Amino acid sequence: MATYARPVERLITELSKLPSIGPKSAQRIAFHIVRGRQDDAFGLADALREVKEKIHPCKRCFNLTEAEECDICRDTRRDQSVICAVEDPYDIGSIERTGEYRGLYHVLGGALSPLDGIDPENLRIAELLERVQREETKEIVIATNPNTTGEATALFIAQELEDSPVRVTALASGLPVGGDLEYADEVTLGRAFAGRREL
Amino acid sequence: MTVYLRALRLVNFRNYADATALLSPGLNIIVGDNAQGKTNLLEAISFTVTGSTPRTPRENEVVRWGEDFARTEARISLDGSTDERAVAIGYAPGQKKRITVDGAPGPSLTNYAAGGAGARVVTFFPDDIRVVKGAPADRREFLDTLLSSLRPAYARAVVEYAKAVGQRNQLLRRIRDGFSSERTLATWDRKVVDFGKVVLEGREAAMEPLEEYFRDSLRVLYGSEKAAIRYSYTTTLGDYSEALREAHATDIDRGTTSIGPHRDDFEVLLGGVNLTMFGSQGQQRLATLALKFAARDYVRGMVGEDPILLFDDVMSELDESRREYLAGYFLESTQAVISTTNLEYFGSDILQRTRIIRISGGSILETATNGVRK
Repeated sequence: MATYARPVERLITELSKLPSIGPKSAQRIAFHIVRGRQDDAFGLADALREVKEKIHPCKRCFNLTEAEECDICRDTRRDQSVICAVEDPYDIGSIERTGEYRGLYHVLGGALSPLDGIDPENLRIAELLERVQREETKEIVIATNPNTTGEATALFIAQELEDSPVRVTALASGLPVGGDLEYADEVTLGRAFAGRREL
Repeated sequence: MTVYLRALRLVNFRNYADATALLSPGLNIIVGDNAQGKTNLLEAISFTVTGSTPRTPRENEVVRWGEDFARTEARISLDGSTDERAVAIGYAPGQKKRITVDGAPGPSLTNYAAGGAGARVVTFFPDDIRVVKGAPADRREFLDTLLSSLRPAYARAVVEYAKAVGQRNQLLRRIRDGFSSERTLATWDRKVVDFGKVVLEGREAAMEPLEEYFRDSLRVLYGSEKAAIRYSYTTTLGDYSEALREAHATDIDRGTTSIGPHRDDFEVLLGGVNLTMFGSQGQQRLATLALKFAARDYVRGMVGEDPILLFDDVMSELDESRREYLAGYFLESTQAVISTTNLEYFGSDILQRTRIIRISGGSILETATNGVRK
């Protein structure tokens, strides 16, 4: 038997499907909505509806967009010969904020992980390879996460492009800038050591 | 170079509600009847210095019955008497451990275990005879624990290697059952080899000095017969990538990665005889001791400092001459903490230079210093 009226139960159930929301948080948010102003609740509902109706993956790079192609893909001032491959759309935001990169992107939609049943077919790797050929890309920068699955994904893409003339690079990993050496953890420092460069 | 543990405090650890023990450099003997908490005290020292217990994979057992957390603290004397480090481990099952060093949040568990406390330990519990007697996994664990305590990069490679092998195994099963293609197998091979190589290189580099130390120790403990430890490879470094590729068909069939450091072993030999298979209980016990002493020497060789020796009930199974030798060995160590039910195993000359810690029912009754050397 349900503790609350059915619509409230349903709201709690839907909320608890969200990431990092447990049953207790879901309940608290649900009651906040129930108690709150009607305008706010309808505003939230509209926003949810709008995002699902209007936002979809960019045809070219699978970034999120309202249009057919995303703003970055449509920006002709950007370097069309470089593609940066990332796992998720929000990784684009991180790289854009650096202001250092002026090329295009490609959102893979995750990383290879047999444990989670994720094969190349579940990612947008075929689309990337096709793009490289069609757009005559000169360089691919692979910016997957520096963990086991992210690195395996990078490796796989590099292997797939072995015979193509495109240059495949990966982001360097090393010490945080502005920090002190003594505060770096051993693993990061060890990696930075392995990747030391000539001065 | 003298690193030793000067004081230990236990809260809700095993059968200790709240207890403090003072320790000295040199030999410390924990004495008490059975099931009073001698082993638990040794375990607590290891737990505090390395961040985890060497005794059980079910770590929540260290929390005292009916309590929801355990906490241990230690004062570690570094290089003389004035410079002291305070370390503490707070542990509530299901939560991340809280490690503090000198009151500030400590490093990650892996880095803490690799000497983050400023000290290292070599432990001997009666059950450790499985290093010689038991399965290959027991011997790999011996090597990995020792090497991880010395190099964070090795510790990380062991963890990452296990993850990569886990992914590869899952992929093999998916290929076998028709859920995945073989397209990414070469990729996971590479990841496995990347980390596996670090593990294999680390073990290879350690085997030669370890064998030498082992041989020396066993000669003293057992006699003149030639002792050896020999690493048995499922694949060597040079052939690794190639061998993994050649194993594809078999691996897919079995759904598991058949070669690599996670399947390797080492043989413990005495006079050419494999002690794992053919050794007597006594030989296996002495060989285990010799391996632990070799670990001590190896740590000393690598970091220039002795680890703290924590030996549980090691005397009861030995004859008098060996007990005498061991007592001398511990006495000359930077710090050794050993447990016994019977102080009569030790001569009065030894007891005079030893700190005695009496235990009863989870309480530390007294710690008496009988003219302990400074």
